[in-house]
Amino acid sequence: MDALAAAGLDVGPLRAAGRRLVVSAADGTTYVTTRPSDVPTYVESGAADLGIVGKDVLHERRPDVYELVDLGFGGCRMVYATVAGEDPTPGVLEHLGTVRVATKYPVCATEHFLSTGREAEVIKVNGSVELAPLAGLADGIVDLVATGRTLRENGLVEREPIFESSARLIANRVSHKLRAGEIDALSGRLERAVGAAR
Amino acid sequence: MTESAPQSAPAALPAGVRDVLPVEAEELRAVEGSLRERFALHGYREVMTPVIELASVLERAQEGPAAPAYRLFDDRGRVLTLRPDLTIPAARLVATRMAERTGPVRVFYVARAFRPPPAGRPRPAEERQAGIELVGPSGPDADAEVIALLVDALTAAGLEGVRIGVADVSLTAAVLGALGVGAPAAGRLRGALAARNFVAWRRGVATLGLAEDEARLLADLPTLRGGVDVLSRVEEAVPEAAAACARLARALELAGGRDGGADVGVDLGVLRDWPYYSGVVFEAYAPGVSEPVAVGGRYDGLGARFGTDRAAVGFAIGLELLHRSLAQRSRPDGPRRGVVLVGGLGPEADTARSLRAAGIPVAATGDDPVDADAAADEDDWRYVVRRDGPGFSVRDRRSGERFSCGRPEEVLPSRP
Repeated sequence: MDALAAAGLDVGPLRAAGRRLVVSAADGTTYVTTRPSDVPTYVESGAADLGIVGKDVLHERRPDVYELVDLGFGGCRMVYATVAGEDPTPGVLEHLGTVRVATKYPVCATEHFLSTGREAEVIKVNGSVELAPLAGLADGIVDLVATGRTLRENGLVEREPIFESSARLIANRVSHKLRAGEIDALSGRLERAVGAAR
Repeated sequence: MTESAPQSAPAALPAGVRDVLPVEAEELRAVEGSLRERFALHGYREVMTPVIELASVLERAQEGPAAPAYRLFDDRGRVLTLRPDLTIPAARLVATRMAERTGPVRVFYVARAFRPPPAGRPRPAEERQAGIELVGPSGPDADAEVIALLVDALTAAGLEGVRIGVADVSLTAAVLGALGVGAPAAGRLRGALAARNFVAWRRGVATLGLAEDEARLLADLPTLRGGVDVLSRVEEAVPEAAAACARLARALELAGGRDGGADVGVDLGVLRDWPYYSGVVFEAYAPGVSEPVAVGGRYDGLGARFGTDRAAVGFAIGLELLHRSLAQRSRPDGPRRGVVLVGGLGPEADTARSLRAAGIPVAATGDDPVDADAAADEDDWRYVVRRDGPGFSVRDRRSGERFSCGRPEEVLPSRP
């Protein structure tokens, strides 16, 4: 929100939105608030011209949108983690051929193991992924970590980094062309605003 | 009725396909009709290719792994493909069946292409496309002819606010070549552009170790949009790309000259997904649809893969997308012209014949007791006509009037 304000947008109504999901500002901007994983859906369909969403969601959803600017904030990493101590993964793979991985990001997890030449049985869970290896549901997890504190507190250790994530500005394919001037100007201002903040 | 078949289960369709009901079908046909007419007026003639082709032949047009398509076997075990696009079959047809032609070959098609929807994404598997191919000429005039025809056809179909972004893959290649970007790096950059990922593009550019102003130009390249003047920036920074810039500028100038009002501009971020494009590439954007309504470009190497090496340029319009954009703006209001004629199958058959001869659709009823008014409501016909003594009584659903007349075929055609 500070980045939007620094880029010259009127974010007053957005700050005061409370529980309203759609708010319009005096400068003609309409803000739509959704859960992160729905942002690409709204932008891809053209219901929203622009969206701000984490790279992790883009990796997972693969929407057909323009990825315009790395906004830098919301930084975190997608990692593969297992319980502390010796990494059970090589042993499991050697004896059983398949490692069981719990994750909220099945596409990212599947791709990571495929690209490293290993077979994984990816189990989709919807929350508290850290529980899965502790309860014996999986050998490891693929999840997003910011500080790594949740992993540590649950006795898990990061084994393999997968990719770095941060917030991205995305644009609908057609809006990017039909409203080219406005979108170029805004993405330029946002890029300068986040550049100055860093 | 058999007792074994469970009749209660919904009669579902495969993923990504749908039925088209009368109202939409009529509108789609109207759009198709206006496109056909414009193509024909520009000297293009219709061709039809089969829905199934040999996979080994169609795949000659592709590099790398086989593209998504519905595949099946014929009775001899050969793999067949349900055509996933129409450019390739049309190129095959022109290269094989019209190989001896020396002059420009102008053909168009209106047909359906089939592509399985990607997992987890509700995309149509069947797409109606109307497109043209101009085979033979290789100059910017031909590029301009095709772009101008696209503008003309979309405008004639009733589309307003259309914008066409034009780029040239040979221009991008010339810039990359002149800056000494090697094949692996160029491939990565191309991948970033194909994924519409400008963040990855700029990061890729940053790792090339270019001089600052060269790096800035290359970083900005896919976002360069506007009039032909944006090309002068490329030309100044990379003199080796001057020829490609001049060619693109010439094509745009000719295309604009042939058709005023439309918004045709440079957009170096346009990159078609198929690898066969070799020169100009373009996309048409319309308000209210989230994908380009038309895509096209030049693919000079495609004919050679089917045995006849000729330059070619063309486009395909997505009919459903075009219809969607049109339908958001204007919907015809009021009942459709047409009559429900009571007794038209029996005693009033002559009147039915006369009305049809006057160009008015007639839904005739017979002796069975039918509620003619309900039938008119359901299919939204404008008139209900009944025998009334020596003449007829007419009910006009548009105006709500009831009146009598002697010969409906003389009165109805002239009503507003």
